Amino acid sequence: FTPLRGGLSGGLSQPAGWQSLLSFTILFLAWLAGFSARLFAVIRFESIIHEFDPWFNYRATHHLTTNGFYEFLNWFDERAWYPLGRIVGGTVYPGLMVTAGLIHYVLNLLHVTVHIRDVCVFLAPVFSGLTSISTFLLTKELWNQGAGLMAACFIAIVPGYISRSVAGSFDNEGIAIFALQFTYYLWVKSVKTGSVFWSIGCCLSYFYMVSAWGGYVFIINLIPLHVFVLLLMQRFSKRVYIAYSTFYIIGLVLSMQIPFVGFQPIRTSEHMAAAGVFVLLQVYAFLQYLKDRLTKQEFQTLFFLGVSLAAGAVFLSVIYLTYTGRSSYAKIHIPIIASVSEHQPTTWVSFFFDLHILVCTFPAGLWFCIKNINDERVFVALYAISAVYFAGVMVRLMLTLTPVVCMLSAVAFSSVFEHYLGDDMKRQSPPLEDSSDEDDRKNAVTMLMLMLLMMFAVHCTWVTSNAYSSPSVVLASYNNDGSRNILDDFREAYYWLRQNTDEHARVMSWWDYGYQIAGMANRTTLVDNNTWNNSHIALVGKAMSSNETAAYDIMRSLDVDYVLIIFGGVIGYSGDDINKFLWMVRISPSVASQPQESDYFTPQGEFRVDKAGSPTLLNCLMYKMSYYRFGEMQLDFRTPPGFDRTRNAEIGNKDIKLKHLEEAFTSEHWLVRIYKVKKPENRDRVEHKLRGADTTKQKYTSKKVSGGAEASSEGVFIQERTQLDGT
Amino acid sequence: MLSEKVEQMMEWSSRRSVVRMNGDKFRRFVKAPPRNYSVIVMFTALQPQRQCSVCRQANEEYQVLANSWRYSSAFSNKLFFTVVDYDEGADVFQQLNMNSAPTFMHFPAKGKPKRADTFDLQRIGFASEQLAKWIADRTDVQIRVFRPPNYSGTIALALLVSLVGGLLYLRRNNLEFIYNKTGWAMAALCVVFAMTSGQMWNHIRGPPYAHKNPQNGQVSYIHGSSQAQFVAESHIILLLNAAITMGMVLLNEAATSKGDVGKRRIICLVGLGLVVFFFSFLLSIFRSKYHGYPYSFLIK
Repeated sequence: FTPLRGGLSGGLSQPAGWQSLLSFTILFLAWLAGFSARLFAVIRFESIIHEFDPWFNYRATHHLTTNGFYEFLNWFDERAWYPLGRIVGGTVYPGLMVTAGLIHYVLNLLHVTVHIRDVCVFLAPVFSGLTSISTFLLTKELWNQGAGLMAACFIAIVPGYISRSVAGSFDNEGIAIFALQFTYYLWVKSVKTGSVFWSIGCCLSYFYMVSAWGGYVFIINLIPLHVFVLLLMQRFSKRVYIAYSTFYIIGLVLSMQIPFVGFQPIRTSEHMAAAGVFVLLQVYAFLQYLKDRLTKQEFQTLFFLGVSLAAGAVFLSVIYLTYTGRSSYAKIHIPIIASVSEHQPTTWVSFFFDLHILVCTFPAGLWFCIKNINDERVFVALYAISAVYFAGVMVRLMLTLTPVVCMLSAVAFSSVFEHYLGDDMKRQSPPLEDSSDEDDRKNAVTMLMLMLLMMFAVHCTWVTSNAYSSPSVVLASYNNDGSRNILDDFREAYYWLRQNTDEHARVMSWWDYGYQIAGMANRTTLVDNNTWNNSHIALVGKAMSSNETAAYDIMRSLDVDYVLIIFGGVIGYSGDDINKFLWMVRISPSVASQPQESDYFTPQGEFRVDKAGSPTLLNCLMYKMSYYRFGEMQLDFRTPPGFDRTRNAEIGNKDIKLKHLEEAFTSEHWLVRIYKVKKPENRDRVEHKLRGADTTKQKYTSKKVSGGAEASSEGVFIQERTQLDGT
Repeated sequence: MLSEKVEQMMEWSSRRSVVRMNGDKFRRFVKAPPRNYSVIVMFTALQPQRQCSVCRQANEEYQVLANSWRYSSAFSNKLFFTVVDYDEGADVFQQLNMNSAPTFMHFPAKGKPKRADTFDLQRIGFASEQLAKWIADRTDVQIRVFRPPNYSGTIALALLVSLVGGLLYLRRNNLEFIYNKTGWAMAALCVVFAMTSGQMWNHIRGPPYAHKNPQNGQVSYIHGSSQAQFVAESHIILLLNAAITMGMVLLNEAATSKGDVGKRRIICLVGLGLVVFFFSFLLSIFRSKYHGYPYSFLIK
């Protein structure tokens, strides 16, 4: 926090050398602070990839480094989505993997031998430093250097950005925010200078962004919007014309080089606004050119006609395309979209949690920007308004709001500090009376503002430590004396799969765990977090929610060898499969003869796992696998055996017998349970009683054999038969 | 007896497309055996104190469906739409062993209602089209849902456009106000405040304005959980955010304006007070919602 103060008090009129040294130091410290703030998870646990999607990215990066770039582009992954497989090279944004691979390559070239996993783990924290530098540059262009330094410090520690860039969260967003900010910086620079050089730089940065994250659509809509608003404000200039024409053409060509994007930029509605503004800009420039050739009266008529027609046509088509495109997309994917908690609107608590004081002060920065408007401040105002709208609609887009909030808050704070922290000696007209009183007031303002900022820093650290630093692959629980227990069940189970199953074994699980199974256990999965094929997911959901016999048919048809489920009843882990179970039912295809969602509820409409629960639920595969042998287990003396701690209920079906499955592995805290799907028997077992004539003879032989020492297969066979007789 | 009942039902439904029933009527016209007509019953709780927002939405859809049937050419005495409100026929709810609303049930002309005669609201929702499909399934009566077109959005837009157009036309000689930065800045801040206080969440989720405890009549404006909020709460937050922003602007104003020293001092102190006080207030609200949050400032 100290660097912040230093940067503001100095620098205003010091020699240029001191100023740049200070800026350099502050930026370096911001980088360091941002980097260290993101290391909670590494220090508490270890250098490990987090959550779900990063596991896929890690696996892809690993593939890239071992097999080379072209092999990666052509990679057909036969270990996912069995039996369909997945074309990976053409369905990912490769920027992240290529970046990590490149760093790994360079380090190894310099004989700094690091494992690719460590590169992946520390990539996001390193890039957070680059983000704060590009935020500094952008804010400096928009306001001044002091605000820039402050913005860099804010973005280094703000939770809204840390949430996506802690060490170990190896995800697209980690590098994309840097690319986003850097592209905007270069764009503002090219609008300011009107030079093709900066414009080309902007295109290259945009290309990097396209290769890294689907959020590039935000750039390709915001920049045209900026140009359009500049036209409306009659701020058209040669600079804008050069910048946008260059950016649009080269950016378009470059973005189409990414296989996953392909021809989308000239096909889909999201990109049409950019094309429309490009046409509009050409028309406008042409009319400007005509202006010199025509009389004033002629020109005015032509001008208004041309511009209004073009603008109207473009915008109607854009609105139409966007509207139709969006709604149909949402309709098709609704059950999956609704099941992911990130696709939710944002409450004010989330805003405050992720941005703290910044969310209350950045409107002030916006106010100052609009009051002192110029070309680039139009841009930041549009950025703020569009980003805040998107963040309000969807929680995960808080990420795109965070940088602009940091910039505008920095503007607000730095303009306050500029007035209240300034050196009295430098003032032109010192106040005549009440000099000491004014000094007190200034000190009070400064102290309180610094206090608020200190609270912000404390809040950021607290949030990062408590909310955003859990790897979710390794869980931790705390005892009463504060000591920590590490629950490593996930890795234990995945490692078991890796060591004890056939290399080509196929593991069925709910789609959340697909990437982890592929990444850690290196086994074939049926569905994973890519969710590109809803019907396949539905089939798995159906198997989980049917009774054992019906599920066995589905699993046989999918060649399933093992079933993996997550069960939190022993330790009280709430994110387990029983709690996700209703989504499996909802997504699974509903045929009238099959059980419906309502069948899994009690007549009162409750979802219960105890005796009062619906019989359909108590006999479905997921329930049986979760609670198999759980009825024998008494966790402590206050509760009966088979007491589920997550749902606080004694389970309703304690005597579970599995016919087609057998338990293969249960982890230490029962968090992961793996079942082996039995092969069909050679001949169907005889269910009815054996004939009386045979039994006497069998009994006779069994006596005879039981005396013998060797336990041959025959002996086992006979024992089984006698048991059957006994019943 | 039968014809009398049919006649009575026809008379009611010609007056209103959905017949309201209490316990006695329900037993006489829906439950009692001599019947040659099917009845669709919506069990609901529409009284405002029940706070059932789903019921209201379901009721609208149901009305649309009933009206489509009432005014269609195929309207006959084979099918009637009725509603039983919990506050008018609680005994019916008990009798049918029902404790959730809204529920749609079909009482066939012959025999008792079966399992499939209860509409599966959880899974297929309560859109009129779905209800119509279900009715067609159960009774062989096809209803083409006719929705009265919703012009309100179009009208509002047209009104807005004409208002703006009119304003521009009236002030055509003096279009300076378009270049008024304060106006634009205000508009931008309005959007920002609306979004950061979670108005979009309200729009999508439709929470109640505030919660009144039915036991002691206490009204709570702040939702206890960090996952949800009330409309009133979001308005409070909007005001707090606006106050803090205003404080920051005033602080800046105090330093830059060319007014006399006393006035500037007051502006400065007011600005500082706004920022510090309202921020600590905001923090305390946040703390009360986000359990386990350790920090506070001035106000606990």
